Amino acid sequence: MIIGVVNNGMSNVGSVMSAFEFYRHQTELIDRPEGLTRPDLLVLAGVGSFNTAVARLKESGLWDALQDQVLVRRKPILGICLGMQLFATVGFENGQTGGFGWIPGKVVRIEAPTVRVPHMGWDEVIPRDARLFNRVKANSFYYMHSYHLIPDDDAVIAATTPYGAGDLVAAVVKENIVGTQFHPEKSQGDGMRFLQNVLETIA
Amino acid sequence: MKYKRIIPLFLLKGKRLVKGVQFGNFVDVGDPLSQAMIYDAQGADEIVIVDIEASRQNRLIDGNLIHAMIRKTRLPIAVGGGIRTVEDGRSCFRAGADKIVINTHAVLNPELVSSLAGEFGRQAVVVSIDVRRDTAGVYIPHVFSGSRAVDRPLDEVVDTFVEQGAGEIILTVIDREGTLSGFEDPLYAEIRTRIPVPLIASGGAGCYDDMARLFHTVDVDACALGTMLTLRDYDIVRIKAYLTGEKISVRDS
Repeated sequence: MIIGVVNNGMSNVGSVMSAFEFYRHQTELIDRPEGLTRPDLLVLAGVGSFNTAVARLKESGLWDALQDQVLVRRKPILGICLGMQLFATVGFENGQTGGFGWIPGKVVRIEAPTVRVPHMGWDEVIPRDARLFNRVKANSFYYMHSYHLIPDDDAVIAATTPYGAGDLVAAVVKENIVGTQFHPEKSQGDGMRFLQNVLETIA
Repeated sequence: MKYKRIIPLFLLKGKRLVKGVQFGNFVDVGDPLSQAMIYDAQGADEIVIVDIEASRQNRLIDGNLIHAMIRKTRLPIAVGGGIRTVEDGRSCFRAGADKIVINTHAVLNPELVSSLAGEFGRQAVVVSIDVRRDTAGVYIPHVFSGSRAVDRPLDEVVDTFVEQGAGEIILTVIDREGTLSGFEDPLYAEIRTRIPVPLIASGGAGCYDDMARLFHTVDVDACALGTMLTLRDYDIVRIKAYLTGEKISVRDS
């Protein structure tokens, strides 16, 4: 399959591409709206903050093109970490910024007095949607975030991670959309298998 | 966080990895790319690589090496050496760094921490602090790879970094570094109570029980290993097997 990785100018796109290439998929780095047409799966990854990521996508024209591809043409897309957070209706990192709205919900800072923020390192993931965790052995994945997604509808939650007294949303799935708060591309063998499962589930 | 992290700490000098004792007497310990692949395969939880000459030589760690490392491994890599500006940070992230590590320039200019955290998110900014014990037993922060003392107390330096947005702190005790004599456990216990962000202990790991004791007595999030891995007969697989047996929660690998 052809995997199109959106280049937001500053992110771990190399890791994502190399992870898909491991299973002999072809990867393309996407800088312009035209690039979104050909791939079988789009990937939106991200380092940075909600507001700057939105601004960058709007500047490049990719924002509107992604809305069209994902909502109208039903192109499969995987969002990783900040990439997933952008799928929400609104984010509260450095002020209030509108997201894509594909997964109705909000992105807020992790507020839990008994746990450390940022949530950093390897943590346990508890699957709800078994399709994404097929052949995954240890269910531990790498996290690196201070904000988290709270979807309006619990039905989109594909996995959770216990943190403090509550749960963090680890992954979401909705029709042609998958998002992960953890970094599968950084999660060794389980991460690689997870990415294959994403392809098998939505692409 | 359910799992404690075991982190190989790589010191880069020129194109090779080196390991020394108390930041001196360095010996060659291999090629950074092949070593990264080996520890990834053993199930290391993360790698930290720091170019120890970059700040003094007024340059940045080699982006091509970072890019090669992230293409060949499947684990997070934190990158440091000579990062003085937001643009330097951006160069590291473009090369593929998952996190950046700042040390000397953060101490000299604490606002660098908030600029980097504002631009890249605080979880992507790791601040590394090196300390030496003086004759009175006080831990004195040092910069430029331990060669210059800082005239502010450690507590104040740590607090400032957290206020400015450090996402994680690596605290290295130079006196212990490379000596295989165990971690400076009481220091980590003291700093642990001061800061809400993850804390990584570094300097002195020499045997399984050094790690077990540290994790049993102090709630640090990770420990960094150097000499023990590169110049002694230890590997991550057996370290994790041992720690699991000691009822310390580490990730299966």
